[in-house]
Amino acid sequence: MFLALRDLRRGVRRFLLLGVVIALVAVLSTVLSALATGLVTDGISGLRALPFDRLALQEGAEATFSRSTLRGDALDRFEGVDGVEATPLGASFVNAASTSGGPNLDLALFGVAPDSFLVTRDDARGALSGEPGLVLASELEDQGVSVGDRYAISGSDLVLPVLGFTFAGTYGHAPIAFTSLDTWQQINFGGDPDERFSAVALSGGSDDDLAGPASEAGVELYTKSEAYAGSPGFTAETTTMTLIQGFLLVISAVVIGAFLTVLTVQRTRQIGLLKAMGASTSYIARDALGQMAILVSVATLCGVALGAVLVTIVGSGDVPVELNPTGTLGVAVSMIVVGLIGSAAALPRIVKVDPVIALGVEQ
Amino acid sequence: MTVPARRSEATRGAGSPVLAIDRVRVAYPDGPDTRVILDDVDLSVTAGELVVLTGPSGAGKSTLLTVAGLLRRPDSGEVTVAGTPTAGLSQRQRTKVRRDHVAFVYQSANLLPSLTAIEQLELVGHIHGEKASGTTARARSLLERVDLAGRADQLPVELSGGERQRVGIARALMASPSLLIADEPTASLDPERAGAVVELISEVTRSEGLATIVVAHDAWAEMHVDRRLHLDRGRLSEVGPPAGAAAQRA
Repeated sequence: MFLALRDLRRGVRRFLLLGVVIALVAVLSTVLSALATGLVTDGISGLRALPFDRLALQEGAEATFSRSTLRGDALDRFEGVDGVEATPLGASFVNAASTSGGPNLDLALFGVAPDSFLVTRDDARGALSGEPGLVLASELEDQGVSVGDRYAISGSDLVLPVLGFTFAGTYGHAPIAFTSLDTWQQINFGGDPDERFSAVALSGGSDDDLAGPASEAGVELYTKSEAYAGSPGFTAETTTMTLIQGFLLVISAVVIGAFLTVLTVQRTRQIGLLKAMGASTSYIARDALGQMAILVSVATLCGVALGAVLVTIVGSGDVPVELNPTGTLGVAVSMIVVGLIGSAAALPRIVKVDPVIALGVEQ
Repeated sequence: MTVPARRSEATRGAGSPVLAIDRVRVAYPDGPDTRVILDDVDLSVTAGELVVLTGPSGAGKSTLLTVAGLLRRPDSGEVTVAGTPTAGLSQRQRTKVRRDHVAFVYQSANLLPSLTAIEQLELVGHIHGEKASGTTARARSLLERVDLAGRADQLPVELSGGERQRVGIARALMASPSLLIADEPTASLDPERAGAVVELISEVTRSEGLATIVVAHDAWAEMHVDRRLHLDRGRLSEVGPPAGAAAQRA
């Protein structure tokens, strides 16, 4: 890359425009990647933090808690399986209106058996085993909610106190809250709960171990990551973000390919000269691609760094963005790879240049 | 077919035909007709010989240079460079023969705008796969030879027309060619600078034992040549050496 390096160093202004465009695309890609990660976290972090391996939901529920209602017989099928722990899980969205002057809350309310494997902290077990109440995600404490505040739960006559706070987490973009399964059933089914709940949370066991009981119980099994798809808007959001990122990458490739093609046309006589000097086509192609690789890499890394700074600034507010090292690295690598693919579009023109033009003879 | 390595001392010897063009024909389609540019042209240039080619515009002088420099395949005939017949060679093999044995000096120097004078020469070493340390020393020495040691780090835009042309000649010598092809190298220079360039080409042809073909219009330049050839309507004819050539060489 003898020529490429010197060309870049002494022709900064010529390459500045493309470098800025690539850097801006990298900024946008980094912010979008952070937004995608943030939205995922906002959508499923509460569910992700629960210590289960699989969920069993009613057939046809498509991982959506609101479409699944199970009864005790479904739980019974799994309780006898060796090496498997099974516990009922209720999940629903509720509005909680403060009766003590605090903020009103939209909550993703999980009903859990206090002595089940889903409740790992002793203080939480103790709290959920006593009087009915709510254990809330810790970020609500930052929003001014305090232990002892009382909340009227919509759709029921219950007014529940805040018993304490647990790990931060959200589901369907609502902060999570835990209550005992009995209280959850009372909120959702009133005086006739009939042992109903949303899903069976399972820990341990293999697909083979669980397939039989699942079939007998008429339920479908979901791994934890499959269960994320049931979070409201999760699939649409991740698909949209992936599409936007994909389009950005395609745009990058087209812009870089177009730039290098124009540059190659401008350099036609120079390429002819190099060929007349005995440079092989591969030598010239390596030089051109190397130049683009350096330009795209530097511009991308600058863009990603700037994007990371922006995400950090924006992330301190309410926007759900989260820098994910793997995702950010993925953005950088994808941009560079796509840039090189775009650059390759100019290669046929390099091959076609006839060295006779070095002598001013038309091709 | 194997391609010989770069020029050996054997091919430098006086009298060896470095370039042998045998019954070369080039024709272009011209509407419904065919326009013959080179019509069974024969030409032989030996080591240490400086040949000037003249002819009217459109006579095919540049085409002859592109054929001689292996930039273009003739429609028929054979071009032998440094003992290697090239008609049967692949494009890659022809490129290698050109890289190892042929160098060009252009009308407008054709320097690369982003390279300094010395880097123009180092690029040649890089294309030849030479080590950077040796290349730099040789490039510096060649720039000294063309009286540009003090301008080694200047970009083309910072050099005068004559200086650019001298860099172009040094760059050509950097390839250690057997065959030097110069296409109107003094056309864009004033008489004083043109004279210096002609002197330089003449001198390196003798001292390096190059076979040199120069396309030139300038009558005075012929004073420095061994043979004068005239190309017209595709036919090459020998006009003979100018009267003062022997005295010049002596």
